[in-house]
Amino acid sequence: MIPPIWVATLGAALFGIGLYGAITRRNAIIVLMCVEVILNAVNLNFVAATQVHGNVDGWVLAIFAIAIAAAEVAIGLAIFLALYAQHETINLDEVVTLNG
Amino acid sequence: MSVPEFAVFIPIIPMVAFGLILILGQLAGDSKWWRGPFKEGGSIAVISLAACLILTVIVGLDVTKNDHGGEPTHIIEWLRTDEMSQASDGTWSVHEAPAISFGIQLDHTSLMLLFVATFLCFLISWFSLGYMNSDSINEGRLHRFYAEFVLFASGMFGMVLADSFLWLFIFWEIMGLCSYLLIGFYFDRPSAAAAAKKAFLTTRVGDVFLLVGLLILYGIYGSLDFAVIFADPSLGGLIDVNLLRTAMILLFVGAVGKSAQFPLHVWLPDAMEGPTPVSALIHAATMVNAGLYLVARMYPFFDVAHGGVEGISDVGLIIAWIGAITAVMAALLAFVQMDLKRVLAYSTMSQLAYIFLGLGVSLWAINRGHEALAALAIGSALFHLFNHAMAKGMLFMASGSVIHEMHHAHHEIEHHSDGNGHFDAQSMENMGGLASRMPVTSLAMAIGSASIIGLPLIGGFWSKEGIIGSVWRAVIEDGGFALLVPAILAILTAAMTGFYMTRMWAMTFLGEPRTDVAKGVHEQTPWIRMPLVVLSIVSLLGIALFALGSEEWITHGLVSSHESGSHGGAGDRILHAFTGDGLYTAGVTWVTIILATFFGPIWALRIHGGALDSGQKASFPIRWLPGFSSGLPPYDPTHLATSSFADALRRRLYFDEVYDALIRKFVVGCAAICAIFDRRAVDGVVKQVESKSIAASHWIRKFTTGSARDYIAMASIGIISIFIIIGGST
Repeated sequence: MIPPIWVATLGAALFGIGLYGAITRRNAIIVLMCVEVILNAVNLNFVAATQVHGNVDGWVLAIFAIAIAAAEVAIGLAIFLALYAQHETINLDEVVTLNG
Repeated sequence: MSVPEFAVFIPIIPMVAFGLILILGQLAGDSKWWRGPFKEGGSIAVISLAACLILTVIVGLDVTKNDHGGEPTHIIEWLRTDEMSQASDGTWSVHEAPAISFGIQLDHTSLMLLFVATFLCFLISWFSLGYMNSDSINEGRLHRFYAEFVLFASGMFGMVLADSFLWLFIFWEIMGLCSYLLIGFYFDRPSAAAAAKKAFLTTRVGDVFLLVGLLILYGIYGSLDFAVIFADPSLGGLIDVNLLRTAMILLFVGAVGKSAQFPLHVWLPDAMEGPTPVSALIHAATMVNAGLYLVARMYPFFDVAHGGVEGISDVGLIIAWIGAITAVMAALLAFVQMDLKRVLAYSTMSQLAYIFLGLGVSLWAINRGHEALAALAIGSALFHLFNHAMAKGMLFMASGSVIHEMHHAHHEIEHHSDGNGHFDAQSMENMGGLASRMPVTSLAMAIGSASIIGLPLIGGFWSKEGIIGSVWRAVIEDGGFALLVPAILAILTAAMTGFYMTRMWAMTFLGEPRTDVAKGVHEQTPWIRMPLVVLSIVSLLGIALFALGSEEWITHGLVSSHESGSHGGAGDRILHAFTGDGLYTAGVTWVTIILATFFGPIWALRIHGGALDSGQKASFPIRWLPGFSSGLPPYDPTHLATSSFADALRRRLYFDEVYDALIRKFVVGCAAICAIFDRRAVDGVVKQVESKSIAASHWIRKFTTGSARDYIAMASIGIISIFIIIGGST
């Protein structure tokens, strides 16, 4: 059995990588992928919590999160399609219409 | 509802008429029925004021018959609040807190003033139908005149009936507003607009003092209701005398402003810019009497024997001095006026000053325990108020009649020849010889002038003698040496009154007409004569009112003692007015009679009298006057009229100049400093806030890049910060 602290540490590392990617990358699809990484980092934490508490609450939440992540990806890709139709780019640094 | 409670409708009826006239005038201003039978609202005004007069008479008779005056009746209660307080043992109790309510206070003093106001308002509105509606320049805006007129009447009736200083003040201010609007009725004329502004601002000075005085009273008694305050004015001897004295003086300053006394008198002569009915309304019937009424209402504060406060007799002295100074000053100023209405305006100031003198002596005397003298003085003062209001209302209407007919004659002449430019229909220099051409007006004006002069047996004589007599009694019998100067000035003013009133009458009605316009004058306007006749009869009835003891009747309920006043029957009373209590009172009376009736008028007739042009005859009772005056040795006053003192009088003793300079130096100076403060500090703060927040938002704008990546970073930093803070604190 892998000790829960390792699982949590892996989750934290994945979260950091995902966050770094979401902030630094310009391509919207890669940013979306980084967000997915963040979500899965959280899922890992849930699984670890299940081990600690000895019940299935964490698993249930993890499955919920995976389902919602699937929906989120669908919506995200749809937004990017619309974005591309408008601006002919999905480079986030070029889509700054909210600039003050 | 008992009969006295119907009195509450007296202020309400004109208030309703005000709205009615204004709305109908706006909606139907051009229609035939509004211009015709409704007389642009005049009919509504006359009818509503007649209703007020009838109600006043009914209520007055009921109060007199059943003698239940003096008790305030609460009619409407607003905002009755309960107050909770904690006792020393910790229990809470609820008790009634002072409430804002409206009630009426009916005693003989307020009834007298109410009668004066309703009676004169009715007659003046009647007069206005003739005076205002026959002039084409007024067409289309008369509904404004009548609406303001009845609102003014409502203010006066309400002030007289109010049962608390609060309501008195509220109605007082309504009058102030209406006086502004009415004086400035011809607001398109710059002089009228300026006069209205001057009247408003000058009385405002007094009103501010009055308000502060009332606030002090509220601080002392916790209420402004007459019933609460006068139940125990001295608070069982615990009152702060100096504080009350301050409040009394402040109240008096308010009265000074309203009643146009020195040094706040400057507005009254200018107020003559308003239409003549307004002059009659403001200067006889209503507003100027408000100040006198307020001072009369202060009597219980001074009534030491009945719970009053000891040691404030000096307030009475101040009032008497101000009265005496104003009396003589206004009489002097009236000497040189050429404008008919301005003579009457100064005469009003002078006569009101007499009443203040009487009230001041009364307050002084009652505070020192001289009850009989106080009762005599206040009775005479309030009786003089009555006589003066009747005579002066009539004089203003008579002068209005003269001015109106002069205008008419001028218009007729202008029709036949080319216009000769400006013509002053109010200047007495353009008149002369009108006695035969205006028989009713000249006779009415003679009776009114006689009443103001104090010609024996006519109206004002009885009350004026009472005032002068009581001042001298205070000086000689009761040791009021501080009143010696006012006493001398009072007699002096009597002689001067005789001069300037006769001068006015003689310049207008005697001699040969000085202009062609005056030759063409006829008494022809309808509606105008009735009020003159009625008021002439009232002025002549002064002797009957005096014989019936109206002086005591007026002060019944206000004054507790009437020992001195009662001299048995009517005959005794009249005889006593001439013989006095002893040698010196009789002496004072006769000196006054001789000065006022013979000395002053005969000098005026020597200067301004003269026979009418041939073939003209004055009306019967005064037919002898033109011949008599032309028989006197004439006197040429040129060297007096050109003296520097006369010049100073013509410039109104430089009061306007001094006030102008004071305002320019001090008020404008202070205003400039305030303006700098306003620009630098007030505006500065606002502008700094503005410019700094603009700079701040420029800085904040840098963060709204629009890039999603930046927002993600900011959200992350925020969340991480929150975690660090939470983690750090646990």
